Amino acid sequence: MRIILLLLIATFFVMPLSNVEAQKAKTIDELAKMFDSSPCKSCHAEIYAQWEKSHHARPLMGVKGGLMLTPLALKKGEKGSTAFSEDDPKKMKIGNFPCFKCHLPQAVTHAEDSVAVELTEALLAKDSEKVAKLQITCIVCHNEKAIIHKRELGGPEKGVLYSVKEVTSHPDATFKTVKKSAIMNNSVYCGQCHGLGPNLEFDQAFQCANLYGSYLHNYVSGGGTQSCQECHMKKGDHLIAPNFNDEKQTSELLASALSLHVETLGYEWLRKANAYTPKVIVTTKITSNAGHRIPDG
Amino acid sequence: MTAKTAEGKEIGKEERHYHPQATNCRDTKEKYGAQWKVANIRDTSIQPHQAKKETFEFDLPEGVRTADITVNLFYEAVNPDNKYPIHTITREVSLDKE
Ligand code: HEC
Ligand code: HEC
Ligand code: HEC
Ligand code: HEC
Ligand code: HEC
Repeated sequence: MRIILLLLIATFFVMPLSNVEAQKAKTIDELAKMFDSSPCKSCHAEIYAQWEKSHHARPLMGVKGGLMLTPLALKKGEKGSTAFSEDDPKKMKIGNFPCFKCHLPQAVTHAEDSVAVELTEALLAKDSEKVAKLQITCIVCHNEKAIIHKRELGGPEKGVLYSVKEVTSHPDATFKTVKKSAIMNNSVYCGQCHGLGPNLEFDQAFQCANLYGSYLHNYVSGGGTQSCQECHMKKGDHLIAPNFNDEKQTSELLASALSLHVETLGYEWLRKANAYTPKVIVTTKITSNAGHRIPDG
Repeated sequence: MTAKTAEGKEIGKEERHYHPQATNCRDTKEKYGAQWKVANIRDTSIQPHQAKKETFEFDLPEGVRTADITVNLFYEAVNPDNKYPIHTITREVSLDKE
């Protein structure tokens, strides 16, 4: 086993890495390839299987296969089209999909506008197979999103992964070291995409997830001390539940998160002498042990 | 929450909705979908450290002395037909003391 690994490293070492990395992706396939995490599967099989079922693995079609970016792809003026739509799919640019900030951050940094055109055409053709290639992969999380102190620490380096601990010789062909990230076990890491409130930096403001805002202002403010990872990634679990495509599991998780307490009273109310009104009173109390609002969005 | 007579006739039904509600800040209509929403104007979602308490009160029709109460809590994602059941609690309420 060890010998085979060393050989693999030698084979790939001669391939110039910079060629692929230096220029931006022109097609969906090129972008998918740049952040492809299928090589991680052979060694991290369990984590890979968890991730594959997660919402992060299907960020453009999260709930039951719905192609939720379609309204943006519609022609401007058409019923259901949006402020981000254009009158011709060929005019679509990366900037027409502000959703990429969180749903596909690698498109903002590593894709040409031609990827936006191809995506628009795929959405209009309901080509789910093509849209499914665009994922928040291992590399997006363990490289792209791993550093937020870029002035102090520099940006994410090529060929380096970041995690909660250092691995000086990581036996992957492309990513030969794992450095320690300052934030990967911190809630702010997830907060990069899980939303504070309105996204005001765009020329057309809009709001999607704002759960991180609720975490800061309703959970931390009330004395909560756990991180997103402590509640959602126990033992390194990369399913990061809930998975809304698994109805049974989602119901069970919600049942353990939310308690429902019911009390009842039946009596006859006396409005005035001899005027009894039979009444039923039901009181309900719901409490949550989550670290933020439920539901969000 | 629904209340029924022993014969199954519905005598009360009320709903409470818990969720953040956003408009586009240009009109007063609630919007659905990130491409339309700009900011929350009301937030009835279930927050940590804050219990949601409700009181439902209704009158029993003439001659009815017992009611079957069903409290259902469920989650809806994307559209109201996509439901995830959470809890169902039933109670029989009687005006007669044994
Ligand atoms: C040839 C096998 C192999 C491949 C391929 C591989 N890894 Fe690893 N990885 C390992 C081993 C072995 C470790 C070290 C585990 C340890 O020391 O705890 C490791 C460690 C890691 C760690 C740090 C773990 C920690 O505890 O913080 C991360 C993150 C990681 N790998 C991600 C990846 C990603 C992402 C890929 C795909 C780009 C990948 N690995 C591909 C074998 C592999
Ligand atoms: C600030 C980051 C962020 C931005 C920007 C963003 N989203 Fe989201 N979106 C999320 C996160 C995180 C979730 C899942 C968690 C949640 O809803 O709390 C989500 C969930 C969704 C869902 C529900 C899940 C699903 O797949 O059906 C839809 C639909 C959605 N986003 C559409 C959009 C659209 C359309 C845009 C662009 C107009 C957009 N989002 C922009 C972060 C964002
Ligand atoms: C690169 C941006 C990004 C990062 C970083 C990120 N998420 Fe997400 N997450 C998303 C998006 C986008 C979705 C929704 C995808 C969809 O279903 O459309 C999502 C979905 C989820 C879901 C599924 C529930 C739902 O409403 O869709 C959970 C739980 C979750 N994320 C937790 C976390 C946690 C915990 C972290 C930190 C360890 C984290 N996320 C980091 C972007 C991100
Ligand atoms: C949404 C972002 C996200 C994605 C996608 C993601 N990771 Fe992670 N990963 C994390 C975070 C955050 C941690 C640290 C969790 C903690 O604090 O324990 C982590 C931890 C790890 C660890 C060490 C944890 C352990 O206990 O074993 C390994 C190994 C790892 N990831 C590999 C992978 C691989 C392989 C993939 C792709 C199949 C992947 N990750 C995809 C965010 C992500
Ligand atoms: C104290 C534990 C705890 C903490 C801290 C926590 N969560 Fe959660 N989270 C939960 C529970 C419990 C649920 C509901 C049960 C479920 O669906 O898994 C949930 C649900 C979610 C959902 C689905 C929300 C929806 O609309 O239904 C997302 C997304 C999520 N968490 C992301 C995060 C992120 C990101 C953080 C950090 C900013 C975080 N969580 C911190 C416990 C926690």
